Amino acid sequence: MAAPRKAGGTGDRPDLFTAALFIGFGALGLWAGRDLTMGTASAMGPGYLPRIVCWLLIIIGVAIGGSGAVRARVDIAKPRLWPLVIILAAVVGFAFIAEYFGFVAAAVWLLLVGSIADRDSRFREVILLTAGLTAFGALVFIVGLGVQMPIWPF
Amino acid sequence: MNFVDLLMLGFSEALTPTNLGFCLLGALLGTLIGVLPGIGPTATIAVLLPITFYLPPLAGLIMLSGIYYGAQYGGSTTAILVNLPGEASSVVTAVDGYKMAQQGRAGSALAVAALGSFFAGTVATFGIAIAGPTLSSFALSFGPAEYVSLMLFGLLAATILARGPVLKAIGMILLGLLLGMVGIDASSGEERLTFTAVELFDGIDFVVIAIGLFGFSEIIENLENVEARGVLVSKLSRLWPTREDFRRAWPAVLRGTGVGTLLGVLPGGGATLASFCAYSVEKKVSKRPHEFGEGAVEGVAGPEAANNAGAQSSFIPLLTLGIPSNNMMAMMLSAFIIHGITPGPTVLATQPEIFWGLVASMWIGNLMLVVINLPLIGVWVKLLTVPYRLMYPAILLFCCVGVYSINNRIFDVALAAGFGLLGYAFRKAKCEPGPLLLGFVLGPLLETNIRRALTISHGNPAVFVERPISLVLLIATAGVLLLMILPSFRKTREEAFQEEEA
Repeated sequence: MAAPRKAGGTGDRPDLFTAALFIGFGALGLWAGRDLTMGTASAMGPGYLPRIVCWLLIIIGVAIGGSGAVRARVDIAKPRLWPLVIILAAVVGFAFIAEYFGFVAAAVWLLLVGSIADRDSRFREVILLTAGLTAFGALVFIVGLGVQMPIWPF
Repeated sequence: MNFVDLLMLGFSEALTPTNLGFCLLGALLGTLIGVLPGIGPTATIAVLLPITFYLPPLAGLIMLSGIYYGAQYGGSTTAILVNLPGEASSVVTAVDGYKMAQQGRAGSALAVAALGSFFAGTVATFGIAIAGPTLSSFALSFGPAEYVSLMLFGLLAATILARGPVLKAIGMILLGLLLGMVGIDASSGEERLTFTAVELFDGIDFVVIAIGLFGFSEIIENLENVEARGVLVSKLSRLWPTREDFRRAWPAVLRGTGVGTLLGVLPGGGATLASFCAYSVEKKVSKRPHEFGEGAVEGVAGPEAANNAGAQSSFIPLLTLGIPSNNMMAMMLSAFIIHGITPGPTVLATQPEIFWGLVASMWIGNLMLVVINLPLIGVWVKLLTVPYRLMYPAILLFCCVGVYSINNRIFDVALAAGFGLLGYAFRKAKCEPGPLLLGFVLGPLLETNIRRALTISHGNPAVFVERPISLVLLIATAGVLLLMILPSFRKTREEAFQEEEA
């Protein structure tokens, strides 16, 4: 992991990143809403307030970026891609499997794949946990609460 | 109906077996997540939100609020016994509470914390019962202009009292407002900002954002930080405070209750802020300030009373004005909306059983929590030894089923995963996701009222300063803005939050 503060350099990286996100979303909003009618203050069109909000967002982004650029250098905590990618893949996979193969298959996928996100996971524990939680989930959510999802793939 | 009748109505609602059961469930869950670090009440409520759709409205609300105040009790247990605050609101409790435990006074500290919390919860619940009808009859005279000013004040004040840089918080609110505008525009029927995705025509569901930002990204972040958890549990001694402790604790409980009740009502306030303020108040008024940090019983009693009082009284603006003051209350607001109830002055008049039932259940829940917490402390502490690798798969499953069940479609789950990624990015950028949620919930309300106010006034913005209540609120907003610019205030604020992070 990089040292959080390095002497000499400037630029608060988390602030610059924030600025990029805010300006990016502001610009995206302006672009997505480019065809919306403005209207007048007394009869506002659907585009009136979104445009104001987007511009404010961009202004705030510029302000944060400007002050962050001159401040002493601070680095962003180094991301670890493994848990991020695994968890997101497990979640999206869950949705697709649930749609076509039912709850049990989806839950097993989610729990097995999700478990490898943590390097401490132990094989036997994961199997037991998956079996237990899948049974619990099927009983509580689908039988008990009536969530609309088939339990089995057939 | 008079006050007593209404309170009786509330108790008769809260004491039905179903509601009592969900109150207990909420209190238990709250204590559990309060004890466990890494799972906070915000994430838990986000996860359980879609499930409450399947419950009767009152039962769902009772359970969710039970989780919020239950977490305040649970958080203090681990703060005192193992110096590991389960929640942000019990961080200060750990300072003196753990010292007391090391000196063999753990039982005394726990009892003071639980009894102080109970007292504070009782007072703050009465506060809601008294303030509710008064404030909401006042709110009935609000027009669109007043609501706009009130929301602007609330949103801006929330950024100041919340932790983290103010500009970032304002940006997050704006982003929330923007997200709230996605979908079909209510007055023109035109779709906007949807990128022509049919799934977005109805707008983004609150649950999708909440679970993405708080559920998924919290799991990812926890997995990233491999924590070394050396749990050293102090020995439990007698559970009843000594006469000396008792004598020193009760004035602190009174002060903490006062501070907490007041700060809970403020926008952006709530349990965490209340406990920090109460601690500094105790330190200031004490004749023995040098004892703080060395196991002063006031340092446990004050903040513990305050965080519980703050947790209760932050319901006041939501229940009476329909305006949530922090992200927890934003969650509660959407729990109301799931059942087609819009909290605010009209609910008190048309569905009094909801308001009074909830108030009564809060008091019952507090009573349950004292009973749950004191004798069962040993059980809760054992739970600390459960490793995170066994907990997060369950949370993950709850999140996924919850999001999928809103509309039974893949799109929502994928979108929530996207918000998980966004939440992760914001954590890396050191932005608190809370204000975004607040902006998202208030956005549509704010837009409708701005448009309404300006339509009535034929586009003349003077309407906001011509109406007295609105003017006062705007002046308060300007005052808050001014405070923010003043260097001396900024310095104190930064110092206050630095203390919090230490």
